[in-house]
Amino acid sequence: MASTSSTSVGSGSTVVTWVLRLVVVGYLFFLIGWPSALIVRRTFEGGTQAFTEALQDPDVTHALQLSVVVALCAVAINLLFGVGMSLLLVRYEFPGKRALSALIDLPLAVSPIVVGLALILVYNPRFGWFGESLDAHGIQIIFAKPGMVMATTFVALPLVIREVVPVLEDMGDDQEQAANSLGANAWQTFWRITLPGIKWAVVYGVVLSLARSLGEFGAVKVVAGNISGETTTAPVLVQQKYQNFEQQTAYAMSFLLVAAAVVCLVIVALLRPKDHKPSRATATAAIQEKAS
Amino acid sequence: MSIDVSGLTKTFGDFVALDDVTVSLPTGQLTALLGPSGGGKSTLLRIIAGLDTADAGTVTIEGREATNLPARKRNVGFVFQHYAVFKHMSVAKNVAFGLEIRKRPRAEIDKRVAELLELVHLSQFRDRMPSQLSGGQRQRMALARALAVEPTVLLLDEPFGALDAKVRKELRDWLRRLHDEVHTTTIFVTHDQEEALEVADEIVVINDGRVEQVGSPDTLYDKPANDFVMRFLGETTDLAGQTVRPHDIDVSMSPGVAGSTPGTVTRILRVGFEVRVTVTTDDGAEALVTMTRTLARSTGVEEGAKVWLTAAKGATAVPVMRAV
Ligand SMILES: Nc1ncnc2c1ncn2[C@@H]1O[C@H](COP(=O)(O)OP(=O)(O)OP(=O)(O)O)[C@@H](O)[C@H]1O
Ligand SMILES: [Mg+2]
Repeated sequence: MASTSSTSVGSGSTVVTWVLRLVVVGYLFFLIGWPSALIVRRTFEGGTQAFTEALQDPDVTHALQLSVVVALCAVAINLLFGVGMSLLLVRYEFPGKRALSALIDLPLAVSPIVVGLALILVYNPRFGWFGESLDAHGIQIIFAKPGMVMATTFVALPLVIREVVPVLEDMGDDQEQAANSLGANAWQTFWRITLPGIKWAVVYGVVLSLARSLGEFGAVKVVAGNISGETTTAPVLVQQKYQNFEQQTAYAMSFLLVAAAVVCLVIVALLRPKDHKPSRATATAAIQEKAS
Repeated sequence: MSIDVSGLTKTFGDFVALDDVTVSLPTGQLTALLGPSGGGKSTLLRIIAGLDTADAGTVTIEGREATNLPARKRNVGFVFQHYAVFKHMSVAKNVAFGLEIRKRPRAEIDKRVAELLELVHLSQFRDRMPSQLSGGQRQRMALARALAVEPTVLLLDEPFGALDAKVRKELRDWLRRLHDEVHTTTIFVTHDQEEALEVADEIVVINDGRVEQVGSPDTLYDKPANDFVMRFLGETTDLAGQTVRPHDIDVSMSPGVAGSTPGTVTRILRVGFEVRVTVTTDDGAEALVTMTRTLARSTGVEEGAKVWLTAAKGATAVPVMRAV
């Protein structure tokens, strides 16, 4: 009797673990796995020929190029400012620090459409705050690449910061102080001590930002307007093609977007040393954003 | 005078961590900053190194005004309590860091690093990463790294604090020998009085942000400026309004000596060769007396016995100033 009761307790907890696993796997399957798999299936329903044909459409190649350029610009900006802001937030004390820290999460909370509208309000050439004077100097922001880069940058802003901040906090400033006392100036300390310490967090943040930037739809659509395909990015084109009953092209591009995201994440998973733990919250947030 | 600190004050909010500290630390010596936890030792050391700034006061290093000099220009070697090793660099790279920053020629760096690793007995570990070293080895590496740049002064913040008792003792002896070899002016922080008494040429006792006393280990032990210093440097007990050391009390079985304090033995505890006798004096206070086993037996001390206590001739004693 004693042995049966002890095994039943044991199997009871195993049952719970299995149920929990099933729930998690099911949840992920219905939310992410199945929809993504269907896209792959639809893309290659008629063999690879439809897929290659779709990619020869000049609209498609243009949109893909534009998406890559905009995403790379946004990632570069977020890399520089993200690392800088993280240092500011972790290493320095200043009034309003907590408010700033909260503000950084805003892009995750606000709908990207609203971001787009807000940018239009500020930079619109006819009634925006800066728009008129910029327009007078021949600089166009809204309905052009700069606006699209800004919108994408805004949306992906927290990703680098939220990866780097916990690692910086964890690292402490001991090593930096040691470098200072050994004669290193601020730049040497950053380059030789701080950066190697946060390297993996930066890489992870960059890849998440890249994945997020490539897939951005709402904010970019609003600021890009629709100038005869000139400012149409890949996700926006997916929607247009789908609505124009060119489903095959839409699926092909969707597949490319999913594949790019998966490749990004796999590369990071392979590169990352075992002991670096990215903050789960931002990772899942970004992935779910992409899936939606 | 190598390091002169004058009128140094440091506050954190409304908490005073250093209160008008003035002290001179002699060239070429090994000085201990000794004091209880939270006394301000690290704060003082960090201000000398330029890692913190004082609210008021000046720091002069080797006659050079350093109050507003950034840490990297003070040529001070600092060894942190938790080593602060550069985690992503090998042992040799760690040690070479200061020299590479100074853009010394490669051959010179290699030679110096090899010498230093020899000095701290880490030559066979030169290509290891810090995570593959023991605590004591990491500490020695941190020391070599600080020595590499030939600092004017070497500052060590509780260098052996995180190590076990045996390694501590080894490293402490080793630090003393090292200092006898290289003669760099060295200041180390400790809250272990035995460590300070054993290793240092000079001890600065710091408590509550103030310097209580500066002097050689003998001076501090024999002529403590106040009962705080006396208490901090070893075991004490109160007898007839005086603070004395328990081994400096004579026990007599008869009221022979004038001014002796009568009492009753309430407890006897034997620890190895030592006997610790607790005496409750007639006015109700408790005094602790320590003596050798042999002396206890020949005197005839036993529980319940009536005894008379006097401070031994030449004993160090200071008036009791505050309650324990
Ligand atoms: N950054 C800080 N902010 C606020 N208070 C501080 C700060 N650094 C130190 N203190 C306070 O100043 C006092 C002195 O600190 P310090 O680190 O110098 O003590 P210490 O003598 O080195 O003690 P320990 O032996 O425990 O290391 C402490 O009470 C501490 O709480
Ligand atoms: Mg300390």
